[in-house]
Amino acid sequence: MKIILVDDEQKFITMLAKRLAMRGIKADIAFTGDEAIQKSRDTVYDVAVLDIKMPGISGIQLKNKLSGLDPELKFIFVTGHGAVGQSDENLIDTDVYLAKPLDIENLIKKIYEITKTG
Amino acid sequence: MSDAIDFMNMEGLKFFGRVNASISHELKNILAIISETVGFSNDLIDLTEQGEKLKLPLFKSCNESIVEEIQRGFDTIKQMNKFAHSVDVPIKETDLLETLMLSIKLSSFLSFASHVQITSQGEETKSVLTCPFLLQNLIYQILIFIYKSIGPDGQINIQLNSKKNDGTQILFSCPTQLSLDGFPTQKIQKIIAILGVELNMNEFLNELDIWIPNDSKKIIVLEKELQMYSYTEKSDNESSKNS
Repeated sequence: MKIILVDDEQKFITMLAKRLAMRGIKADIAFTGDEAIQKSRDTVYDVAVLDIKMPGISGIQLKNKLSGLDPELKFIFVTGHGAVGQSDENLIDTDVYLAKPLDIENLIKKIYEITKTG
Repeated sequence: MSDAIDFMNMEGLKFFGRVNASISHELKNILAIISETVGFSNDLIDLTEQGEKLKLPLFKSCNESIVEEIQRGFDTIKQMNKFAHSVDVPIKETDLLETLMLSIKLSSFLSFASHVQITSQGEETKSVLTCPFLLQNLIYQILIFIYKSIGPDGQINIQLNSKKNDGTQILFSCPTQLSLDGFPTQKIQKIIAILGVELNMNEFLNELDIWIPNDSKKIIVLEKELQMYSYTEKSDNESSKNS
């Protein structure tokens, strides 16, 4: 299982990546959309965990670009907004989204769920 | 109620909403970092309990990170508090540098904010009689426009140039191309008209500025309108108490 975490809050995803590694999930990190796209060109990921809003690109826009590189890639969105789904325009019903602060066990559960459903 | 007051009410609500949304987002991010860091500390404790060697440097690093984020949280709340109190007095002698810094700080919570640097030149900056809340909104709207033009990697330089007994210029300039297509927006035009400030643009030099006169007749008129509005509101409240 290989995942990529994308968020401009560097401390947040660095810590998250460490915690996932302790649980046997290897996670690469990217602080910008461009960095995520570059890494996706070099590595095949199973799941991308994306911040809904980042400087220069939205989570949805990034999803579209990464899907173009790898149609099999699964996505989980992370939002810092008040209510999950609120003002997250263009998210479709089948998209998975979690609110910050994250419950890591729940995140791992979602990762395994979406990779099982294929 | 005058057109200016109607606009201030409606626009004020929108501005308040937008700023508070970005502040709540910032606070959530801070709490998310603290949450992950505490989670990581707990993970380390679990590993130690399972027999692994205690990793003190990592614990120390976690604590330092938490302290930093708590400080960041306090700083954010401090800005939020300043912003909340900026409506206490609708028209008053306003420190322009303080107002500018607050507007920059509030706009920095936006995900697309560029890097901003202030330099202050000329004589000591003065306070001017103005509507601080509306002026904050004006600077905020200008910054948003520039952020969208130059992107999050862009740089904005702001100079505050005061001229004694005359007014103060707030000059926004960019080292890179600044497109002024669509500027000023209708909202900005309206705010400028109400405040009685002057807007100048120079796309060739990648800069724009607002000139805030020390004695704006528009502000004096607005102050009178607001006093009338408060008087009317007070009378309405007294009438409803007596009825």
